[in-house]
Amino acid sequence: MSLEIENLVMRFGGVVAVNDVSLNVKPGMIRGLIGPNGSGKTTIFNVVSGYYKPTSGKVSFDGKVISGLPAHQITALGFARTFQNMRLFKTMTVLDNVLVAMGHHCKTNLWQAMLNPVAVQREDKMLTEKALHLLSLFQIADYARERATSLPYGHQRRVEMARALATDPKIVLFDEPAAGLNEKETEWLSETLLKIRDSGITIFLVEHDMKLVMGICDAVSVLDYGKKIAEGDTKTVSTDPVVIEAYLGKEEDL
Amino acid sequence: MKNTFKVILLGVGALVLLVFPLVAPNRYTVHIVNMAGIWILMSLGLNLAMGYCGQINLALGAFWGVGAYTAALLNTRFGSPIWINMPLGMILAGITGALIALPMLKVRSHYLALVTIGLAETINIIMVNEIWLTEGPLGISAIEMPELFGIPIDGAERFFYLVLICVVIGYLVARQIVNHRIGRAFIAIRDDETAARAMGVNVARYQVLANALAGVYCGVAGVLYAHMSTYISPDIFEFKNALFVLTMTMVGGMGSLAGSLVGGLALPLTQEWLRAIKSWQLVGFGLAIMIVVLFMPGGVVGLTQKIEQAGGIRLPWARKQTEGKPVAEEKLEMEGPNVA
Repeated sequence: MSLEIENLVMRFGGVVAVNDVSLNVKPGMIRGLIGPNGSGKTTIFNVVSGYYKPTSGKVSFDGKVISGLPAHQITALGFARTFQNMRLFKTMTVLDNVLVAMGHHCKTNLWQAMLNPVAVQREDKMLTEKALHLLSLFQIADYARERATSLPYGHQRRVEMARALATDPKIVLFDEPAAGLNEKETEWLSETLLKIRDSGITIFLVEHDMKLVMGICDAVSVLDYGKKIAEGDTKTVSTDPVVIEAYLGKEEDL
Repeated sequence: MKNTFKVILLGVGALVLLVFPLVAPNRYTVHIVNMAGIWILMSLGLNLAMGYCGQINLALGAFWGVGAYTAALLNTRFGSPIWINMPLGMILAGITGALIALPMLKVRSHYLALVTIGLAETINIIMVNEIWLTEGPLGISAIEMPELFGIPIDGAERFFYLVLICVVIGYLVARQIVNHRIGRAFIAIRDDETAARAMGVNVARYQVLANALAGVYCGVAGVLYAHMSTYISPDIFEFKNALFVLTMTMVGGMGSLAGSLVGGLALPLTQEWLRAIKSWQLVGFGLAIMIVVLFMPGGVVGLTQKIEQAGGIRLPWARKQTEGKPVAEEKLEMEGPNVA
């Protein structure tokens, strides 16, 4: 069930956003993906989750090539993702946000929706219970009936994570989940990510918060200008001179 | 307490509707209300496609025409009755809706509006030019008034009940759809297509479905119209009607089925009262759209909800928070496919 990215190239016109990157995410691990702004991290996420077709190279999951499949099919294969800018459904309640992600649990079709309100009601009740349980794991069940975007920022992040998990994923791609969170919230986040991993869900994490990354990742890959410049466990990576140079620049002799 | 009030309100409403044709001042009034019912059906269709799924669709006049021409041709050429014409009209108009949705998958916002206008015009031109099929600009006359279970539905008063049944069924079906997973997927697509994809929503499929549903609703309206007026011609189904439906839906409340009922009833009646200033009607619609967009983005229904929130009161007919809610201007500024 591992995710394999092989020789991935993503070009936008003349810009090479991802340049020949290969990496894998093994089941049950937290793989961090770090690098300065614009180094191609989110582009890799967008390829993996089906928003971009790679210029060349391939992405496979569990031995099956998934690059080029539409996003909803990739989700159906067990992928979920969060977004840098969250993208909650802005007119929906917290509960409905989660329910949208549970579409695969819905067995009733259009005809039943129109002709069999009893079956739909039964299904709705079942799904709502499931969704509320999920929300309670994120301690936001009390806000279930409120408009998702009216919640405080930290809680919106929780809604987004709950929504991603509602798709029943095998692997979740978190795109900067700590962005905008305070220290306490980040601490909660790192505990939660570990809990998610321990429940058997693989995590692929893009994050700028180095304390978080170094604290929870089992392995880290580093990108710079679209190229992978380093890889390994957190200790190796954080002491790698190439990585330090990419982040801080090289000391010049004056 | 609140529930009893609701029941009473519903009961009184039902009673008023049932006796309306008997107490109406004249047949013409009933006819106008029947026409309003037909508009309501189209408005419900537009609301599903545009209010819920976020797909601008200005081809409604054409869907309506497809339904009407199906009924008219089948009836005048083969003498087929309304209960056969109705499902066929629904299917054909639904297919038209789905077909129009295909190019819609590639374009967005203003371009989408233009594409739907273009397609509607094309269908209208076919109605005018393909004389062998449609009788051309002269139109089709002598369509029979329907007969159901041996009862001839021959006057506006009797037709009223047929329209009423269609509107009630249409509304209930639409309500079932928007409260179902399908409705949630529609709203998800409207709110954020990119996120909807990531949640496993097959966006293209739901967009086609939404427009097919709009087609089906207009198809019902078309079949009813053909059998009610007994005469149809291409100019009836011109673009201006799509604009009329758009206006009534926006005034009533985009993204709220009750909005379709309110707008679909209010606008045709207002139009009737303002018959004297006919040439100014279009100006009036334009102004109405502008006022709604600027000052009451949720339409009349949205406004009542705003009053509720501001005053902390619950109007007796208010819906639960979890049900579909009218959206503000968000809907109108649909984003491009930026993934960041």
